[in-house]
Amino acid sequence: MAGVGFQRWVRTLSKGKISGISGLLPACRSGEILTYFPINIGEIAAAAKKYNIRVEDYKPIADNGEGYGDYPQLPDRSQQDRDPAYQWDHPDLRRNWNEPMHWDFDMFIRNRVDTSPTVVPWSTMCKQLFGFVGFMLFMFYLGDKFPAYQPVGPKQFPYNNLHLERGGSPDVEPEEVKNYEI
Amino acid sequence: MHPTTLMYTSSLLLMFAVLLYPLLVTFTSLPLNNDWASSHAKTAVKSAFLISLAPLSLFLSTGMEAVTSSWTWMVTTTLDITLSFKFDHYSIIFIPIALYVTWSILEFATWYMHSDPLMNRFFKYLLTFLVAMLILVSANNLFQLFIGWEGVGIMSFLLIGWWHGRADANTAALQAVLYNRVGDIGLILGMAWLATNVNSWDIQQMFILSKDLDMTLPLLGLILAATGKSAQFGLHPWLPAAMEGPTPVSALLHSSTMVVAGIFLLIRMSPLMENNQTALTLCLCLGALTTMFTATCALTQNDIKKIVAFSTSSQLGLMMVTIGLNQPQLAFLHICTHAFFKAMLFLCSGSVIHSLNDEQDIRKMGGLHHLAPFTSSCLTVGSLALTGTPFLAGFFSKDAIIEALNTSHVNAWALTLTLIATSFTAIYSLRVIFFVTMDTPRFLPLSPINENNPAVINPLKRLAWGSIFGGLLVMLNINLFKTPVLTMPAELKLAALAVSILGLLTALELATLTSKQFKVTPLRTPHHFSTSLGFVPAIIHRQIPQLSLLLGQKIASQMVDQTWLEKTGPKAIANATTPLASATSNMQQGLIKTYLTLFLMTLVLVTLISAT
Repeated sequence: MAGVGFQRWVRTLSKGKISGISGLLPACRSGEILTYFPINIGEIAAAAKKYNIRVEDYKPIADNGEGYGDYPQLPDRSQQDRDPAYQWDHPDLRRNWNEPMHWDFDMFIRNRVDTSPTVVPWSTMCKQLFGFVGFMLFMFYLGDKFPAYQPVGPKQFPYNNLHLERGGSPDVEPEEVKNYEI
Repeated sequence: MHPTTLMYTSSLLLMFAVLLYPLLVTFTSLPLNNDWASSHAKTAVKSAFLISLAPLSLFLSTGMEAVTSSWTWMVTTTLDITLSFKFDHYSIIFIPIALYVTWSILEFATWYMHSDPLMNRFFKYLLTFLVAMLILVSANNLFQLFIGWEGVGIMSFLLIGWWHGRADANTAALQAVLYNRVGDIGLILGMAWLATNVNSWDIQQMFILSKDLDMTLPLLGLILAATGKSAQFGLHPWLPAAMEGPTPVSALLHSSTMVVAGIFLLIRMSPLMENNQTALTLCLCLGALTTMFTATCALTQNDIKKIVAFSTSSQLGLMMVTIGLNQPQLAFLHICTHAFFKAMLFLCSGSVIHSLNDEQDIRKMGGLHHLAPFTSSCLTVGSLALTGTPFLAGFFSKDAIIEALNTSHVNAWALTLTLIATSFTAIYSLRVIFFVTMDTPRFLPLSPINENNPAVINPLKRLAWGSIFGGLLVMLNINLFKTPVLTMPAELKLAALAVSILGLLTALELATLTSKQFKVTPLRTPHHFSTSLGFVPAIIHRQIPQLSLLLGQKIASQMVDQTWLEKTGPKAIANATTPLASATSNMQQGLIKTYLTLFLMTLVLVTLISAT
């Protein structure tokens, strides 16, 4: 089996179509070299065909030196956003066979990020949630400044404030201590 | 060894043996008999419960607590880790209650999961969870507690994702694991601080050695752990999502036992918190916010299990408030009573769900008080206990907590929020009862309504007895550690009852509106806020994973290469030297004659000046 691979490699190299080290790479054995950003209509059509998209839908990712090549920019919609009732080839993934995969497909699986539309807009949601939390924090601060407690007062003892028990003389008139009246 | 200590340790050992035996049997290649779940698993838990009554009765009559250390795992110069068990007030009372509730739930699960081909595995998971929970509750050092902590977390993941073919269940299980992990960070950091500063993970040693230390940091770690495990606000979304699991899982893990582990940890560590006002205030405010927020969310949910889940979260917030009041024993009492009625509420909802052919929406239920009278009665009793109806189980703990709250020097807003949440409890409880049991049926005519199975009736009956008498029994037999405030104005004494009745009457009024057709213009904003769970899942579950996953992908595929090869490597050298080279070459205009003339002129000038 290895001998067959070797023969194919020699044959491809001898055809002279691929130059340099690219000829050694497995992807290049079939004649497909590393892909580049498409510039003319022919390359766009070839790329669309390769990725199984219509030419009208194909849009390459902008060439900023990040090395995306001719990979298409697919809409940023998650798998959860797709129709649950449609008869997908892979129903759990909500995906058909040979469908072009988003670059961030692993982020858009059903267990992860969900881009389905929300009941209220994003800005409203953020305002309400963080407004609520901010309001609560402010009210807790106020509640700390003005706490709730039961009234307390100093103790009031009977027998003239325990004058004799505290060692006071029986001849001396004790002074009256009244902290509260019942 | 003292006979009592011997009794405690041997009972626990016997309990572990009885619970582990069914698990170990399944590791052999022998086929299990048809009713293994009922004959082995459920019987094991029942036997374990009966065994646990022995230490309970011994403790109640003598009041003796014990700490035993057996096998030494690790001895270093600074840290010792041994296998040590703490048989104190908390563990001795909680273990029988947990086993009683688990026994009822397992018996119920023999009916509920009957059609599941992997029922035996389900029971195995539940037994493993129970063993981990017992390890957590009886642990005397933080390492052993952590073993139990992680064990219950993992079993929660496996059980929530029981129906793993369903993507939503997988997502919910993942949420549970991730949120618990964030809490675990707090626990691990707390353990690390204690290991480095106090050199011990032993509970008794930690309490003594941390007398004069500033314990704010480890306490914050422990509070974070409790926030994660007990679903406090901020790390709460996993608990309602955990309702994707089967109802017995929700009843056992996510109401009675696992979610109280965080509160239990704080109760165990309460002597560390007594003197730290920051930690106490944080617990109080966090608990108050949680109880109010989750009670608000529960008001507008339509899934019966979600309502009970939010109710659990609200009660957990109340337990956190109690810890913030420096009343750990009252929080523990609430854990015990809450286990009974919350498990019963879940089992009732499970019975209703199966009876209506797996319908969980309360808008499609109704009239069940004629069709399933026993389940409806238990639902009503459970809800009454939850709202703190006088002299049922919930009253003894909940009313004591509200009284303590009213008579303490406390954050006024926390007090307000807790009272509002108490009234909301009555509102959503009545909503559940109204939609499920009252009025006319709104489900399909041919529903397999059946509560005639003893596997349904007996667990509900047992838990109903617990919900009615549990609070009284516990209160009669324990000694309160802290003197409760017994004198207060009548308004404060009756405050809990008053707000609950107020909530009940409001809910009754709103419920009667459902049968009248008149045009209402509902205020949409609060309704959306409540139905969408405060928008917390919508925002947090989209934003944070998106940012981290995008960043991760970018780093992995482009950023590293781009940085090393383009921004700091060969291309950077090229980009840096090119302007230098072009500037230099721009300066060199090639005016040879001018340069030579200037050179000669300066040479002549220098010669003339030096000659003179």
